[in-house]
Amino acid sequence: MLCASFSPPADLDFRIPPACGMEQRMESVAEHRASNGGGDLVSLLGAVSNGDRDAFATLYARSSAKLYGICLRLLGSEAEAQDVLQEVYVTVWQKAERFDSTRASPITWLAVLARNKAIDRLRRRALASEDLEEALEIEDGGPTAFEIVEKAQDETRLGLCLDELEERARKMIRTAFLDGVTYPELAAREGVPVGTMKSWIRRGLQQLRRCLDR
Amino acid sequence: MSDDRTSPNERSDLAGEYALGLLSGSDLRRAHALAQSDPEFRAEVARWSRRLGPMLDEVAAVPPPEFAWAAIKSRLDGLRGDHTVVQLRRRIRQWRVVAAGMTAMAASLALVVALRPLPPQPSPIEVARPVSAPLVAMLGTQGKPADVVASWDPSARQLILAVAGHVPSDPSHSRELWVIPQGGKPRSLGTLPESRQTHMQLADALAQLLQQGATIAISVEPRGGSPTGSPTGPVVASGPLSRA
Repeated sequence: MLCASFSPPADLDFRIPPACGMEQRMESVAEHRASNGGGDLVSLLGAVSNGDRDAFATLYARSSAKLYGICLRLLGSEAEAQDVLQEVYVTVWQKAERFDSTRASPITWLAVLARNKAIDRLRRRALASEDLEEALEIEDGGPTAFEIVEKAQDETRLGLCLDELEERARKMIRTAFLDGVTYPELAAREGVPVGTMKSWIRRGLQQLRRCLDR
Repeated sequence: MSDDRTSPNERSDLAGEYALGLLSGSDLRRAHALAQSDPEFRAEVARWSRRLGPMLDEVAAVPPPEFAWAAIKSRLDGLRGDHTVVQLRRRIRQWRVVAAGMTAMAASLALVVALRPLPPQPSPIEVARPVSAPLVAMLGTQGKPADVVASWDPSARQLILAVAGHVPSDPSHSRELWVIPQGGKPRSLGTLPESRQTHMQLADALAQLLQQGATIAISVEPRGGSPTGSPTGPVVASGPLSRA
């Protein structure tokens, strides 16, 4: 199996240590609330979709630290995080009209876009080392960020549903999402076979889906 | 193993795994192909992304360096500018995909990108940085897309070559790299190893020839390089140096 031989490039060893205490979480949320005074992210994205460069500058000022933090955490390398951050904002500039405020909150939309671009870069790095030719066929950008199609109220339910999960499944899902690790990497970290890890996660996802669908 | 996930729940599991970014190797390729071809699967991936997205709230914010904004602005200017610039950048990006596995390469290109021309208004960064912008040349042949990228970092006097395509192995010939200053004669930068990437440190005398507008070229020469000091064989790739 191809993925069994995947080992992360050396610079992944310099990952930013996960720093996500409650204090920081509250702070980051508070930051976004505070930054919403005087032109919120929704109207800024609207203006950006009309080609408003000033709005784009304001949007960048308000969201870049959040998105850079995400890129840095996933990629572990400042140079790559900066590069991906640029791609993210160029995409925002080109495709802001795809954001729909009735379907997702702006910061989640931006954060998911940044994460997808970073994951895309990570996976490409892995694929390139396995199989250069096929990696070329993989198109730019995750397919998901713009297709956020459902009600934003789900966002608030996530926390509740995650809390309902078994501790182990919750932890693994969180780690996968926030650290950008693959099954083999995650299994190696936990010292369990890949098959075991898959069944933990799948069970967790199924439970999560049932809860979110409720 | 799990290659025939036909029930909606199984497909949703796969979509969830894909959205989480857990898949690798052939599983990743399969899910990616599915996401490209199957709108329902794509929607399910999107659903998972949106649902999981709020977890990103936990990630600590880190202010990016100031030059990141300058670089983004200059990219936007490029988008509005002429089409060839956009194409060049796209080409560079494609090259970057190829080079993605080579971490050092990726990092150096990221640097090149990060140091894109600064905007006209003054900023502390601009004042601090000497005027030695990195240059890039896309080396191609007529009618064919470039498959070699040269990037020149004047401050480190380092020239990096990355080959996107197949590197031919020919024991009886060498490929020799040249710089041709505007209105000048070709000067040899040495022969190239048969590898996908090459780092060269250039002496001052050669380094000053690598200016915007100079041409970088590769010719096929007898083993060991041109016997005359000028290109004797066919030029297989060439392109002008320009601002990254």
